[in-house]
Amino acid sequence: MSNTLGTDTAAGRRPQGAPRAGDADTATSPAPPRAAAHRRGRTRTRLEIAALSAPAIITFLAFVIFPVALAAYYGFYQWKGYGDPTDWVGLNNYRLILTDPAFHDVLWHNGLILVLSLLIQGPLAIALALLLNQRIRGRSTIRVLIFVPYIVSEVIVGTGWSLMLQSNGAVNDLLHRIGLGSLEADWIADPDLAIWTLMAIITWKYIGFAVILMLAGLQSIPDEIFEAAQIDGASYWQIQRRITLPLLGPTIRIWAFLSIIGSLQLFDLVYIIWGQYVSGTAGTSTMAIHMLAQGRNAGNYGYGSAVAVVMFLISLVVALLYQRFVLRRDLRGAVTEGTV
Amino acid sequence: MTAAAIGLGIALAATGCAGGGDGSSGGEGTLTLWTNAMEGRGAEYWRSAAEEYHSLHPDVTIEIQSVQNEDLDGKLQNALNSDSAPDIFLQRGGGKMQAMVDAGQIRALDLTDTDRANVGDAALEGVSIDGKVYAMPLDTQPEGIYYSKDLFEKAGIASPPTTMDELEDAVAKLKAIDVAPIAVGAKDAWPAAHWYYNFALRECSREVMQEAAKSLEFDDPCWIKAGEDLESLLEVDPFQKGFLTASSQQGAGSSAGMLANHKAAMELMGNWNPGVIADLTPDKKPLPDLGWFPFPAVPGGQGDPTAIMGGAGGYSLSKNAPKEALDFLRFVVTKDQQEAYAGAFDTIPVNKDAQGVVTESYNISALRAFNKAAYSMQFLDTVYGQNVGNAMNIAVVNLMAGKGSAADIVKDVKAAAEKG
Repeated sequence: MSNTLGTDTAAGRRPQGAPRAGDADTATSPAPPRAAAHRRGRTRTRLEIAALSAPAIITFLAFVIFPVALAAYYGFYQWKGYGDPTDWVGLNNYRLILTDPAFHDVLWHNGLILVLSLLIQGPLAIALALLLNQRIRGRSTIRVLIFVPYIVSEVIVGTGWSLMLQSNGAVNDLLHRIGLGSLEADWIADPDLAIWTLMAIITWKYIGFAVILMLAGLQSIPDEIFEAAQIDGASYWQIQRRITLPLLGPTIRIWAFLSIIGSLQLFDLVYIIWGQYVSGTAGTSTMAIHMLAQGRNAGNYGYGSAVAVVMFLISLVVALLYQRFVLRRDLRGAVTEGTV
Repeated sequence: MTAAAIGLGIALAATGCAGGGDGSSGGEGTLTLWTNAMEGRGAEYWRSAAEEYHSLHPDVTIEIQSVQNEDLDGKLQNALNSDSAPDIFLQRGGGKMQAMVDAGQIRALDLTDTDRANVGDAALEGVSIDGKVYAMPLDTQPEGIYYSKDLFEKAGIASPPTTMDELEDAVAKLKAIDVAPIAVGAKDAWPAAHWYYNFALRECSREVMQEAAKSLEFDDPCWIKAGEDLESLLEVDPFQKGFLTASSQQGAGSSAGMLANHKAAMELMGNWNPGVIADLTPDKKPLPDLGWFPFPAVPGGQGDPTAIMGGAGGYSLSKNAPKEALDFLRFVVTKDQQEAYAGAFDTIPVNKDAQGVVTESYNISALRAFNKAAYSMQFLDTVYGQNVGNAMNIAVVNLMAGKGSAADIVKDVKAAAEKG
């Protein structure tokens, strides 16, 4: 996944159709020399590739593919986690997942977080990027302030916000002191508020990354295009709508992809703030939380593994569909250019 | 194919490491013991018990390893599965112990009459499966309500509540002096669920509760009745603000911390609570005005009004543990060791001869209630196993958050039984 993402991001930074000089592919395929040397060179290149990529491939197999396979295997058993699994139940765990109201809940939460992330962060990030792309006072300070939450670890962010948002925490205290005592609320515990609290924290935490992506996208748009538009008499809004947004398209699509995958796999913030028990009650639990709660806390390792497999499949399908339908144009550009 | 095999090797090595260190049959005469006592007097007790045993049996050395409480189960599970289990380890009992027995991972303890006399039949019954004892209990863990005598006095509550009406009356009086009447750490789920357990203990007969452990069917109306009792208690709003996201044992804002700092007057807990509270007082000393009273009576319930909820765990031996390991467990339930243990953990020792060391008023109250109890019942999440227990705990939290009914508890518990 990350490989394609890498190329996409690179593609996103350039205006569509601009030529790309000295591509990686042309560099690795040698200029036509004598045949023997050519062959020797190729064998050597292959050995080098094998030697250099082996550690990564082995690590990937051991820590990604192997656990996934193992989860798929355990998913067919009813297993308490002590000793080897012995009670084969076939697809029963999957049947239970599909009919489990608790799983429907977490699926709904994941979906809501996904949609809200796109709707809140996308426009906000574009607006901020447009603002910060201009020469305004304190621009770099604002950039740093927006980006800092992104580099702070989820554990620290979660702990900090959960302390501040407790019913006797700093946020309520502040509201009280500035005379807005009527707005005090149980930000985390109240099931009607919790999801919005979570969205606020997610936005604060991840908006910096989106802004940086958008800024990079904006800065790759040549100034000449804007100048030409201005000379032709286009208004500010016309320029943004007709030029900036379309040219920012590849960046937006990549950011949305990362946001979608992140929303589907959201775990740490919820786990830190709500814990594995109360998140369901507060309406913020996610598939990953459900997996842990069922696997480790309830000791249903077979069922928990099946949840992991379902999560993997959902992410995979979403990723494939997104690449196939949304990123098609961007990917085609990236792939064909190199081979032309 | 080769790559996959290498990957497998790495993964196996990784799990092997996670299992932890020297296995049971490593050095001759060296035993390993895992406990959740991390520091302070508790950890000190285990070190000195090991040293004393070593001085009596110079050929046996006992290595104590402290594992953080919440990390212990996962680490232990890996170790048991990968055959690198410690010889002796903390046993939670109930469904977890049953799972270990089913997987053939722990040894039945072959106890002598002296051992049985030291521990007592009631305590041994809690850790027996099909007539075999699988853990050595070290303390009795009667559960009840810990309270601040000072705050009760300030609120004008003459004596600890003995009925639900009196409890609700106390709640009103405590609100009047502006403290949280009852603290509960619902973020951890189980402390909230213990309210339901105790209502069930009062509403359900002993037979119904024991039968449920086998059938995992919760059809007797007493299970719903217990939830309704909790609902009616919730109507007087007895718990601290924001209790849903409060943890039970960490920091001043936790339920134990609120009691330790006189921000809350009561907490329903097992007998480990005084030690936890002591760590959270401003000067890290035991709370001087701490008292204890049994869970109040509920009118018309099928359960015996004197019955007590309590934990039953102890220390188990892994399947390959040498006989010296059993001998060490026999050693720690002798009178002198039990007295030292009770002192170190602020608890009630299981050995009746050692119970003379119990001096704190809360422990004396608890011990009296325990000795008077018609029977004691293990914590329900232990008895009914991790799977059903976990679902029950979460369902109770839902009820307390106003997101579920008494009937939902039964429904959720039955749904969970299907998964496990």
